[in-house]
Amino acid sequence: MHKKWPSVGKATVGVALVTVVFCLTRIERPSARRPAGYPQLVSIQDLRMSPDWCPPAAPAVPEDSNLFSAFGNSSVYAGSPQSGETGIITRPPIRTIRDKDPIYSAVAVDTRFDEVILMDNNMWGLRVFNRLDNTEPDAPFTDPKRIISGPETDIQFNNGLYIDPHNGDIYSVETDTGDKVVVFPRDAKGNIKPARILATPHRGFALAVDEDKQELFVGVQYPPEVAVYRKEASGNEKPLRSLQGESTRLSDVHGIAIDPKNKLLYAANWGHVSDYRIAGTGRFEDPSISAYPLNAEGDAAPLRVIQGPKTQMNWPAQMTIDPDTGDLYVANDMGHSVLVFKGTDQGNVAPRRVIKGNRTGLANPSGVFVDSKNKELWVSNFGNSSAEVFPLNADGNVAPLRTIRSAPLNKVSLKFGKVEALAYDEGRDQVWVPN
Amino acid sequence: MHGFSYDPIHDEIVVNSPLTQAILTFRGSVNGEEAPIRVIQGPKTQILGMGYAALSTVTADPAHNEIFLPIGSGGYRGAGTGGPEGVLVFDRMGNGDVAPKRMLAGPDTQIRNSTPQVAVDPIHNLLVVKSNGLLIFDRTAEGNTKPLRIIRGPKTGGFGGGQITVYAEKGLILTNSMDGWAVWSINDDGDVAPRWRIPVKQITGGGQNSGIAVIPKHKEIMIASALQNRVLTFYFPELFD
Repeated sequence: MHKKWPSVGKATVGVALVTVVFCLTRIERPSARRPAGYPQLVSIQDLRMSPDWCPPAAPAVPEDSNLFSAFGNSSVYAGSPQSGETGIITRPPIRTIRDKDPIYSAVAVDTRFDEVILMDNNMWGLRVFNRLDNTEPDAPFTDPKRIISGPETDIQFNNGLYIDPHNGDIYSVETDTGDKVVVFPRDAKGNIKPARILATPHRGFALAVDEDKQELFVGVQYPPEVAVYRKEASGNEKPLRSLQGESTRLSDVHGIAIDPKNKLLYAANWGHVSDYRIAGTGRFEDPSISAYPLNAEGDAAPLRVIQGPKTQMNWPAQMTIDPDTGDLYVANDMGHSVLVFKGTDQGNVAPRRVIKGNRTGLANPSGVFVDSKNKELWVSNFGNSSAEVFPLNADGNVAPLRTIRSAPLNKVSLKFGKVEALAYDEGRDQVWVPN
Repeated sequence: MHGFSYDPIHDEIVVNSPLTQAILTFRGSVNGEEAPIRVIQGPKTQILGMGYAALSTVTADPAHNEIFLPIGSGGYRGAGTGGPEGVLVFDRMGNGDVAPKRMLAGPDTQIRNSTPQVAVDPIHNLLVVKSNGLLIFDRTAEGNTKPLRIIRGPKTGGFGGGQITVYAEKGLILTNSMDGWAVWSINDDGDVAPRWRIPVKQITGGGQNSGIAVIPKHKEIMIASALQNRVLTFYFPELFD
């Protein structure tokens, strides 16, 4: 039979517990522990059952006397097949590596409303600014007019952007998990559902529209393809046609552009080639730009290809055409440059112009847009939370006319791109984060 | 890239290139644009492509000079490769169009996945394959071999699709679960609950926590959270004590 505790004893235990909690807060933390921003039990000590007792200000408790060591090799939390229980670790992370500023993968201009839309690939959203916004060097950033972002928007890992020149509709293509194009009205903001969703092949990376024929082109990274839909397509509607196959020389497509005047389609290829069904077909080629008739389909060969070391291409990303001149602008990601070719160029040719250098502010540019109404070239940077505008005839190491910056000057973006894996190098005490 | 591997013995990193059916090895101190020191690629490798999935990870076993490349059907979204689902094992020093040393595949392996993930325990000589559960093989298993043990069933709480790793010093398997990360012993077998669970979604509000690194030096684990573009570090002394 259990002996009942006298009421005085209960009170003593109660006071003692309160005292323990109070005293624990005064124990100096072991030097090996890290500030975590939340309460932590750091030690187990013998407790004298006197409410007046409190340990003096003690030296740091050595790590080997902490709670976990006190329980020996089997953790206090550890479950086992025998117990059928699982130790649940609920403590929050002690560190987080995350870029809290946007990273701009694409840019487009709504010339009717003088607005610039920047695609944020870091926090997955769309940010709308006034076209003439300019972040002064001493300003920390420029606030957007509107932001479209949040789980309802279905925007994730977004890389391709198109703005309808007639009604301002915003098209965004998703590259990895979503497999879709989402469409928003021009004035959309906040965490809202898209007005329209179109299911597309896996790894859609670029968008373009033939407004004459009302066709939506979706550039697909791999297996490489350009799928063409009705512009107003939605749901699971099938493409009108598709360009894909070995003869097309499409490879790891990261950008497409349309020249409606000359009825041409251009694709930017990274040169990673294989037929995934046949072993041994994999190979590395130089990056390229391939040109096709606008109505090309099936395994059609390109009309011509720009490819070779003279081109300076290194991860060519989004492209845009100046309809008045036929100049083809290429965001050259790893070259930190914008390359300008003629749409009629072919083979191993040097660009007609190269915008590059320390005055340009370009850092891993991945988006370009020609604003032919205002004779301006917009470039979005993956590497520094900014977009810049240049004169359409810019060449060399030139400063931009204006910059829209969403982070402090000279900030280098983390450039995380949907981080999926890690590897630890113990010798250097460094962690690899592939993207 | 859904997984790659650091080789601490030879100070090399091993990367797979799914779009070119290749395995690339770089110096461990590589920085910027530098060519790989070895490339495994060609018809003899038997490496098929990724299609809509598959072939997204690679694991080095520096202790035994081998590289493990899981191969999947790739039928995650759309047509698959039509090839086997299993694991190809290459000599670490392989370069060019080289055949694998061995291949683990077949119905008895129970590897049935468009994107299997693997981890090697060089101390206990085990190979762990995540494919509808955790399949534990002898490290040198080849052909149509049955797993030594299988961790699978409702008590496991289910498995996510991300990276898997083995902390060989303690014989622990770390893999992502439906709500975060979970830890099993390499000796677990059958429908068993994990030893530990970190419900990352509940703690941080994030989802798809798909990458992991074990940091014994600091008694920490790092978790890559794809949907938030972030890397979280958890103090996890229980794992190491």
